[in-house]
Amino acid sequence: MALEVSHVVGGYSQIPVLKDISFDVKDGELVGLIGLNGAGKSTTINHVIGLLTPHKGTITLNGVTIDQDSQAYKQQIAYIPETPVLYQELTLREHLEVTMMAYDLDHDQAWTTAHELLKTFRLDNKLDWFPANFSKGMKQKVMIVCAFLTQAKLFIIDEPFLGLDPLAVNDLLNLIEDRKKKGASILMSTHVLDTAQRYCDRFVLLHDGQVKTEGTLSELQAALPEAGESLNDIYLSMTKVDRA
Amino acid sequence: MTGLFKTRLQRHLREMAKYLRLVFNDFFVFALLFLMGGLGYGYSNMLKTLKTGYWWAPVVALLVLVIVAQIGRFATLIEDADRVFLLPKERAMHAYLVAARRYSQGLAQATQVIAVFLLAPFMSVTMAWPVLSLVELGLAQIILKDALLRLDLASAYQVTGQTRMNRWEFKWLLSIVVLAAGLWTLPLVAVGLALILDIAVAVWYAQHWQKQQIRWREQIKIEDNRMLGIYRFFNMFTEVPMLAGTIKRRRYLDGLFKLIKPRHDKFYLYLYSRGMVRGSEFSGLVVRLTVIGMLLLYFVRGEWLPVILAALFIYLIGFQLLPFFQQYEDIVFTHVYPILPAQRLKSFVTLITLILSVAALLLWLVVVVANPHLMTAGITLLVEVVEVWYLARIYTPQRLARSIENRA
Repeated sequence: MALEVSHVVGGYSQIPVLKDISFDVKDGELVGLIGLNGAGKSTTINHVIGLLTPHKGTITLNGVTIDQDSQAYKQQIAYIPETPVLYQELTLREHLEVTMMAYDLDHDQAWTTAHELLKTFRLDNKLDWFPANFSKGMKQKVMIVCAFLTQAKLFIIDEPFLGLDPLAVNDLLNLIEDRKKKGASILMSTHVLDTAQRYCDRFVLLHDGQVKTEGTLSELQAALPEAGESLNDIYLSMTKVDRA
Repeated sequence: MTGLFKTRLQRHLREMAKYLRLVFNDFFVFALLFLMGGLGYGYSNMLKTLKTGYWWAPVVALLVLVIVAQIGRFATLIEDADRVFLLPKERAMHAYLVAARRYSQGLAQATQVIAVFLLAPFMSVTMAWPVLSLVELGLAQIILKDALLRLDLASAYQVTGQTRMNRWEFKWLLSIVVLAAGLWTLPLVAVGLALILDIAVAVWYAQHWQKQQIRWREQIKIEDNRMLGIYRFFNMFTEVPMLAGTIKRRRYLDGLFKLIKPRHDKFYLYLYSRGMVRGSEFSGLVVRLTVIGMLLLYFVRGEWLPVILAALFIYLIGFQLLPFFQQYEDIVFTHVYPILPAQRLKSFVTLITLILSVAALLLWLVVVVANPHLMTAGITLLVEVVEVWYLARIYTPQRLARSIENRA
């Protein structure tokens, strides 16, 4: 069990956004975090990466919590934010170098990986560019390259599909597949449900700060037999119940 | 749309007033009065030594007037969001831009009048021009500026297949032709030429604005640059939050960075050093303060004054650098990357020590050059070493450790 979120109550202020949520991500598994705007996806992610401290409950990653050993905890995580965040004063090359330093990666080996990734995302001729010169999609690719440079056990990817070109989406999915085979876990939030349906092993459906339901697609279909076949239908019916 | 401009103008003027109050504080006004008095005195003394008939006198006048004619930009107060929100109102923007030009006239024409007024004594001495001619030349200058601003207005619209008409080369050329004609023939000729130019631009503009699109991106960029210039000016006196600072590659300093080995514990030194050098915000501060300190120390004599001044400048530099610690607070990876806060603090202390040592060394060298007393130089060095050590190694970590704790 890689990531285990158990009974977490939390949020940005004293008013909890997350109301007692529990789910897990197993080794080699891609779990989709699905929910409307404001359902609590980003808040959940911020708790997992340690930006927020839960009011109640625990988040364990391969047996460690952030309070026990923040280094051991953070070392296992690679995070790709929804909006790319880059150091304005560092070139692409330096971003990669900084990532290697942060995760204490072997320099030569990491650069070999880096060059492959850069080639895949067609950034290999832009090593000396500053973030200011990158388009939004390129910045997102830089984030992906930096994250997949690491040997993290858990990848946390916040809405990766918007803003990327189809080729890059495909490359990202291949990367995810590859890391899954090597035993890494991925927690991914997204609104692009048909892609999620095809690639995620399991889904956690968040609504109004609570886990409405979770499981594989067939489990969801069994739980809500009248909802329909696709993840989209199930998701829509789930939100409708609440609105009625 | 004129209403929109008025609202923006009010907001703009309020903001400017706020900064101007800070700039023109008592000391600065005092210094400025002295400076103006001194310059005025010098100017009048210089005039006494001049005679009529120098060949270069009209050239100087031309140069001054041409340069002054370029002062006073077209202030549109256009914002980035306008190209989305005002796009459907493109035709109505005409009224907005005309109002903007009218406002821009104020400061621009005041500058022209003052410049001609200041230049008048020089011209009447060296060129023996009567008052009437000087007034006519002033008139020509005002009409010329009016035409140049109209050119800016017209250039806000794109004319298919045409380059911008308000490129600086054009403006200089037009100003030189009009003013040279006035200076070497009769000032009335300049008035006539300026009028023809102004009318020509007006006719051209009236014919094409209804059919053309506004150059949104360029206008936004121009206005941004204009505001940036104003903020930069204010930034010399006070903190301007709008000024994020620009980033320069400074490739020639890459060799310096090579000294920092890409190791885990050097993460923040790697980041901070590049951020410091390539960002203009803090490095500019350090350079400015060091240079001012060096200049001051060069002119100051005495046994103790240099010591006190050197110490004061090191303190100022060190103190102003502390907020740089929080520079990357907003970047999520500062918190997500597996790096201990203690390492961040250690790197920052190293950086501060380095910067202060270099500044201290430079200040000390000036003291050595400017002061004959070995004693003063020796004491300065001693004080500086103790101060840098205390500021960087003791004070900084204590103070920042507290700020880290408050966050955690």
